[in-house]
Amino acid sequence: MTILLVIISIILIAVIVVQIGKVTELAAKIRGEEEMQYEVNRSQGGYMILFLVVFLIGCIVSAVYFKNYMLGYGPHLPASEHGSILDKMFNVTLFFTGIVFVITHILLFYFSWKYSAKKGKKALFIPHDNKLEIIWTAIPAVVMTFLVVGGLDAWNEVMADVSDDDKYLEIEATGFQFGWNLRYPGADGLIGEKNYKLISSENPLGQNWKDEKNLDDFLATELVLPVGQKVRVRITAQDVLHNFYLPHFRVKMDAIPGMPTYFVFTPSKTTEEYRQELKKYPEYNVPDPADPTKMLWETFEYELACAELCGRGHYSMKRPVKIVSQEEYDTWLSSQSSYYLSNIRFKESDPWTDKLFDIEVSSKKEALNSAFVFDNIGKELPIDALIFKGDKEFSLAGYSKDQLVLLAETLKSKQGSSVNLAVTIPTESDNVVAEAKTKLILDVLYANGVNSSQIDLSPVSIATEDNTTTKWVFTLLGAGLSL
Amino acid sequence: MANVLTAAPHSEEDVLIEQMGYDDHFHEHHDGDKFQSNFITTYIFSQDHKMIAKQFLITGMFWGVIGGLMSLVFRLQLGFPEESMAWLKPVLGKWIEINAETGMGALSPDFYYALVTMHGTILVFFVLTAGLSGTFSNLLIPLQLGARDMASPLLNMMSYWFFFLAGVIMFISLFLNTGPFSGGWTAYPPLSALPQASTGSGAGMTLWLISLVFFVVSVLLGGINYITTVLNLRTKGMNMWRMPLTIWAFFVTAILGLLSFPVLASAFFLVMCDRGLGTSFFLNEIFIGGQALDHVGGSPVLYQHLFWFLGHPEVYIIILPAMGIVSEVLAVHSRKPVFGYKAMVFSILAIGFLSFIVWAHHMFMSGVNPFISNFFVVFTLIIAVPSAVKVFNWIATLFGGNIRFTAASLFGIGFVSMFISGGLTGIFLGNSAIDIQMHDTYFVVAHFHIVMGVAAFFGMFAGVYHWFPKMYGRFMNETLGKLHFWGTMVGAYLIFWPMHYIGMAGVPRRYYRFDTFQSFSQFDDMNKFITIAAIVTFGFQLILIINFFYSIWYGKKVTEKNPWGATTLEWTTEVDPGHGNWAGKLPVVHRWAYDYAKDGQDFISQITPLKEGEIETH
Amino acid sequence: MSTLENTVYSRNKIHPQKFALLVSCASVVMLFAALTSAYVVRQAAGNWLEFPMPVLFLYSTLTLIVSSLTLHFSYKGFLAGNVKSYKYLLLLTFALGVLFIYLQYKGWMALVSMGVELGTNPSGSFLYVLSGLHAAHILGGLAAVFVAILHAFILPYEVSAKRKLRFEMTQIYWHFVDILWIYLIVFLWLQQQS
Repeated sequence: MTILLVIISIILIAVIVVQIGKVTELAAKIRGEEEMQYEVNRSQGGYMILFLVVFLIGCIVSAVYFKNYMLGYGPHLPASEHGSILDKMFNVTLFFTGIVFVITHILLFYFSWKYSAKKGKKALFIPHDNKLEIIWTAIPAVVMTFLVVGGLDAWNEVMADVSDDDKYLEIEATGFQFGWNLRYPGADGLIGEKNYKLISSENPLGQNWKDEKNLDDFLATELVLPVGQKVRVRITAQDVLHNFYLPHFRVKMDAIPGMPTYFVFTPSKTTEEYRQELKKYPEYNVPDPADPTKMLWETFEYELACAELCGRGHYSMKRPVKIVSQEEYDTWLSSQSSYYLSNIRFKESDPWTDKLFDIEVSSKKEALNSAFVFDNIGKELPIDALIFKGDKEFSLAGYSKDQLVLLAETLKSKQGSSVNLAVTIPTESDNVVAEAKTKLILDVLYANGVNSSQIDLSPVSIATEDNTTTKWVFTLLGAGLSL
Repeated sequence: MANVLTAAPHSEEDVLIEQMGYDDHFHEHHDGDKFQSNFITTYIFSQDHKMIAKQFLITGMFWGVIGGLMSLVFRLQLGFPEESMAWLKPVLGKWIEINAETGMGALSPDFYYALVTMHGTILVFFVLTAGLSGTFSNLLIPLQLGARDMASPLLNMMSYWFFFLAGVIMFISLFLNTGPFSGGWTAYPPLSALPQASTGSGAGMTLWLISLVFFVVSVLLGGINYITTVLNLRTKGMNMWRMPLTIWAFFVTAILGLLSFPVLASAFFLVMCDRGLGTSFFLNEIFIGGQALDHVGGSPVLYQHLFWFLGHPEVYIIILPAMGIVSEVLAVHSRKPVFGYKAMVFSILAIGFLSFIVWAHHMFMSGVNPFISNFFVVFTLIIAVPSAVKVFNWIATLFGGNIRFTAASLFGIGFVSMFISGGLTGIFLGNSAIDIQMHDTYFVVAHFHIVMGVAAFFGMFAGVYHWFPKMYGRFMNETLGKLHFWGTMVGAYLIFWPMHYIGMAGVPRRYYRFDTFQSFSQFDDMNKFITIAAIVTFGFQLILIINFFYSIWYGKKVTEKNPWGATTLEWTTEVDPGHGNWAGKLPVVHRWAYDYAKDGQDFISQITPLKEGEIETH
Repeated sequence: MSTLENTVYSRNKIHPQKFALLVSCASVVMLFAALTSAYVVRQAAGNWLEFPMPVLFLYSTLTLIVSSLTLHFSYKGFLAGNVKSYKYLLLLTFALGVLFIYLQYKGWMALVSMGVELGTNPSGSFLYVLSGLHAAHILGGLAAVFVAILHAFILPYEVSAKRKLRFEMTQIYWHFVDILWIYLIVFLWLQQQS
């Protein structure tokens, strides 16, 4: 039905259009073609001037009207140190091209009007003027040279990579369909190696845990950076091309799978400072349509976007970006925990099984010490992952042994303390193996000076829920007294 | 309507050709031959360049409507993202996803990107390359050079039919279950090489590649003909410096196409290998769809180099013919020589040459070594110089003229305005430092739409209105033409000018919606405005289409051979030239193509010998 | 089209269709230029498997060179009235062309047996693509030679301008794909040395 209506409307429009055409052709016949043409020339010439005026005024007025939304103008001065170099290049170019734009348009439409054909007039025979050609070749050439030199100067400065003695924070952004993984280097300041073949649900970036640099790296859902600190973003992609784009910072670079790229910049305005600038402009002193209880300037956030078509979700790859003071950044940093320690440590994919890390030793010691208190009786002790290596002939993993040693030390230091060891095995598994492994655990404790009276062994129980590994759980029986 | 301002009718031209023309005994061999014997060989499998030109034009118009309609659909999404598009479901079927609860229809993002991709592919290749050069090179090269037909009419016919075939395959891809290709007309891998990356990258991409390989063949076959005809089949007296600027433009365009399209084909072959034969030309270290792929050692950037080696000359392949047409149209309708003919020729040659060494300005942010980009900035800004020279020369052509406003000349003047506006923003983008911020934003979209989507079209429209009498022996309606012009001129600026602002605010291109980002959500009203302007401007194009087809049968008849009072050879043939173009001998040329207003005469045809004591103009 | 040379005012000594053929050879050159440039750039980037070029490619190159010679002498025979020479050297050219394709195929099999398959490493991939695309162009040349054979055997012997033109164009194309192959094989060999 709709299609029929559409077709009928089109036919109607066609008929009307044809009639308009016919009417004017008839008028031309009646008035005489030549006469008609002169009239047409007059009116079209008039329209040329009218268009020129409306057009130029429209361009200028609209630019002024929308100025405060455009980056580089009004409140939107760049939030990075290099940004002003780029904005300046834009303005210099705008200056020259603006002049050309206005002058050529004036001449174009003015000549069209002035030289429209009139009765008795003849055109001038001016086939060429070499001097003029030279002038209007040379002037653009000079202007272009100026723009090139300025532009390349800016380009080479902005795109230069960090040098060895630069102090900078390196972070990594990995684009994927459809979001960004943001990785911070942790205390060592170094981003660890990754390999796409290692990617799994537990290891979203494919970090190679054997590389020590990875152990303190952490992932963030927001890009938080301290103001005034030079940052080198290492940009990669997981699947297709993406592009790391921070509009307010004048930062943009393609993200390519298998070929890391980079961008170096220094944020120069905190989010709060940018907001205060926005507050001064009427365009931003309106309620935020998304949250009318707040003003637009208040809800402003810097944003990370993707700027290379990457599939159906290309328009939705956002991460908030927050620039904060050094103190706020340090506070935020201290609340972040390493991805490895939170998600990989002691799991099957963890390669560092030989021993506990120094930092783990001290924190485990503390944890155990503070666990041996009266209030914790009956509660589980913080012993992680008791893992065995090998199949037929097995032994305790190094880091498990280390933990047991610490437990032993704590037991020794708390006279009269005792613990209960409960073993739960999966529904269909080897009792014998479990018992042998338990013996190994106890051996370590005894070898480190624990008295057998301090350990109470529950009978082996069978797990009721689905699980595939044997579990050993230490529970506090007696807190004892410190020595 | 047109010949009103000239002096006495020029049947002298017939006499000149009879007396001084070159007799190649053409009609002794060719009358009643297989070229024109039945309906099929006249209208379908025609080897006559004039019919092939019309085939290119009408096929190009068909694709122009399709590509334009596609843009209206995705503009509806951009301008009115909250409105239901359920009413489009009868046409777009499963690509409109209806929310079960609210009954609201939303355009699927996959299909949005498919529309954007198809819009670009169709308009750049099918309409502005085939539809523009295919039409006018075919129509004008033999006629303006005094040749009977192209060097190889058979290959010429095949050029059209390969284009047709490419179109059929592309059309079929629109109806695939998984949808047409949706990775942008630039088709960067890995997105375009991996079906897992996007539904459109499956069967849709396969058909897209096949279609375009046939298209490349079409362009090459055409180009071979154009070059050979220009170099070998010019009539007596038609030396290179007497050729009209249209021919220079078509000639350089053909050379550009010949040298750059094979490189595109090589890129496509390598993509096909990566897609189906397990190679890794463009793929490296990819984890997608839950799997780490085997492809190792490739580089997506290599594809970009190969693609843009064509991609940049391609935009000059699009604009040069339009420039040639405008030079011609402005001269004829101003009754004045084109200003600076030689400078114009050198500019065309310079633009042609330089267009091969600027391609990586499309790749400033692609991760190439920044040092390399320096060279491309230099050459890109150099190429602005001959382009500027051409603009100044057109403006100088108008100066001191006796301008006759017809639909053709209006579009010619409009072309100059659009080329200034669009060309100037190119200077921003060509400077890599500025491109850091502007790359992949609406600023780029504004730039290329104004130069290609408007200026090149204006050149095409000017050509259609100007040479319609030659093609069909009738005039298109002038009033409708002027209405078409003003509606499009105003409308096009209303659509694309605001996009500069949106781009300067940082809004990226190829976004289905903007509301994920607070910074990009500031232009709801402006987007609505642009969409409405687009719908209205598209409506104005319907005037052209109706005018065009109506005039073929019912337009005012052309009663004299040279209705515009032009100097060039195509106006010395019959009103409706048959096979072989000239009924008797071939015309012989004695002067350049721009003797308007010389020695007090309104115009002097190229076939008029020099008078005693007359010096030939250059 | 067939009487083009009689009726058309043609400015240059070279026949327009021959010229058109040369122009199309230029576009084929661009295709291979693009691929060999890509080869050079890719090789410089590392992860490039080195392997010896199977000697079969040398044999195929020689075969192709000989086939150009046989075609050349067939033409000479055609002009001189030596019909036997004209006909049988054409057949030989065709056979050598087919042999070339076969030897290329064997060369690919040799690569596979040494572990270099199409997708193994870009160095192998490029070799396959270059030789494969070239082989496709040889097939086009074989089609032209086949038509020449049909004319030689079916049409009565006649040295007409039309037939000379056709034969010359067949030669131009065949020598072109031969020289193209020589360029490719020398290029690949030189790149291997570096």
